[in-house]
Amino acid sequence: MEANEIAYLSITGAAAALRRNELSPVDLIDALLKRIEAVDDKLHCFITMTADLACKQAQQAERELRSGSDRGPLHGVPIALKDLYMTKGIRTTCHSAVLQNWVPDVNATTVTKLQEAGAILLGKLGMHEFAFGGPSVDAPFPAVRNPWNTAHIPGGSSSGSGAALAAGLCYGALGSDTGGSIRTPSSHCGVVGIKPTYGRVSRYGVVPLSWSLDHAGPMARSVEDCAIMLAVISGYDAKDPASANIAVPDFRSGLEDGIKGLRVGVPRAGWFDENLGVDRETETAFNQALEILKNLGATIIDIGGKPFSLARKANQTILICEAYAYHEKTYQETPMKFGSSVRRRMLEGAFLSAADYISAQRARAILSDQIHANFARVDVFAVPGAARPPEAFATMDPNEQNLRPNFTNPFNLSGLPAVCVPCGFTSAKLPAGLQIIAPPFQESIALRVAYAYERATEWHKHKPPL
Amino acid sequence: MHQQILIDDLRKMAERAGLNLSEDELRRLLPGVNRSKKQAAELRELLASTDEPASIFDLTGERKAK
Repeated sequence: MEANEIAYLSITGAAAALRRNELSPVDLIDALLKRIEAVDDKLHCFITMTADLACKQAQQAERELRSGSDRGPLHGVPIALKDLYMTKGIRTTCHSAVLQNWVPDVNATTVTKLQEAGAILLGKLGMHEFAFGGPSVDAPFPAVRNPWNTAHIPGGSSSGSGAALAAGLCYGALGSDTGGSIRTPSSHCGVVGIKPTYGRVSRYGVVPLSWSLDHAGPMARSVEDCAIMLAVISGYDAKDPASANIAVPDFRSGLEDGIKGLRVGVPRAGWFDENLGVDRETETAFNQALEILKNLGATIIDIGGKPFSLARKANQTILICEAYAYHEKTYQETPMKFGSSVRRRMLEGAFLSAADYISAQRARAILSDQIHANFARVDVFAVPGAARPPEAFATMDPNEQNLRPNFTNPFNLSGLPAVCVPCGFTSAKLPAGLQIIAPPFQESIALRVAYAYERATEWHKHKPPL
Repeated sequence: MHQQILIDDLRKMAERAGLNLSEDELRRLLPGVNRSKKQAAELRELLASTDEPASIFDLTGERKAK
């Protein structure tokens, strides 16, 4: 098998090859390191490489697997982490000068779980500074670029996670999602990402952006690979006050059950045409995806989009208040260490009142109830992964984003699980994504729909022209 | 109803918040602050006096069940 072919294996494919002794964990690492050396100077996915550690872990995994000690499908598989996951003894920068040389003395719970599952840590990935603002032009590390066209953004804030997966630089990655930061780069880079239910995955050791909206979750190149990673990192954690003590199902077990008879709610009215509306090619790709779901046996049902639209205002208000509260002391001491983009957005939170914040939390309760109530009529919701394709760095306008519907942040506000899967390309060969949203703690349903769609299409098999 | 914040208001608000911002920074911040304040004001229109904040955010349903 050639190095590039190895680099683009799925987690399940790599795991199978390891168990058939066709490849070793060391072979996987070698292939990825070659690939990173060849392409990452164009993409800037990695902030910190942990190649020596990865080689040692690969050798250990090889010994264990050969001796019959098998820790499961991630054993011996290289993964990478968004650089806000604390890693003991390995610097964790949040892509910021504020934490440029910070070396935590603990691991995030998710990192510990991945280590226990035998995953190999390849390195720490670029992101939007503190998971906030836009691509960081004045941060100490270069902004990550989109492998499909390096003149374009990869989406954020888990930009390195999305780009590294699309470029074949790792088999799985962790992202985090406060307003869409797993699903937007998944959509823009043509990979799969799931924001689990709030409370499903521990946030302990994940540098916060907004405590009540932050979600940790996996990204990969297939739905099944995401299900594998989600199973490993899910579960109750007493160190996270929001952690839910709810049993973790086998997220892979029902993937092949199909979607015949499933009711898919589309909250189009009062949302999709908001201000500038959804990009025409993006909406076409979404409508074609709905047709495929229909052909697979699902029923498409229109539901009202107004509470989904209003959710953006509450999400943004809560986010900037909590973000400023978290960073206030550091900002007052060293304001110029923050990049201009994050500084401007975060400071908006300094000028909102306590009453503004509490009103947003009151609105959250109302809007969440209204959104959840739709599950009396439908089993899942479907919406585009993003309102438009990834923008070019040169013409990017952050204000324009506020004039289009935001298809991700209602599900941070409501805490619902949402998976994003590739659903096509624009005429400029930029990826588009389809989101499937399920009731609380029903990630399995969202994954089942996404898996059925993925099986019926070829989009996830495309590779960027690097 | 959102009352438009002017640059002088923002300067005073910054002082009260302990922020030392240049005139240039204040001017760049002003549109975003007005947008945020307007959003917060629009959210208030959704609220009835009995609506409580989602300060206990519980998706398990355990508290409701009790």
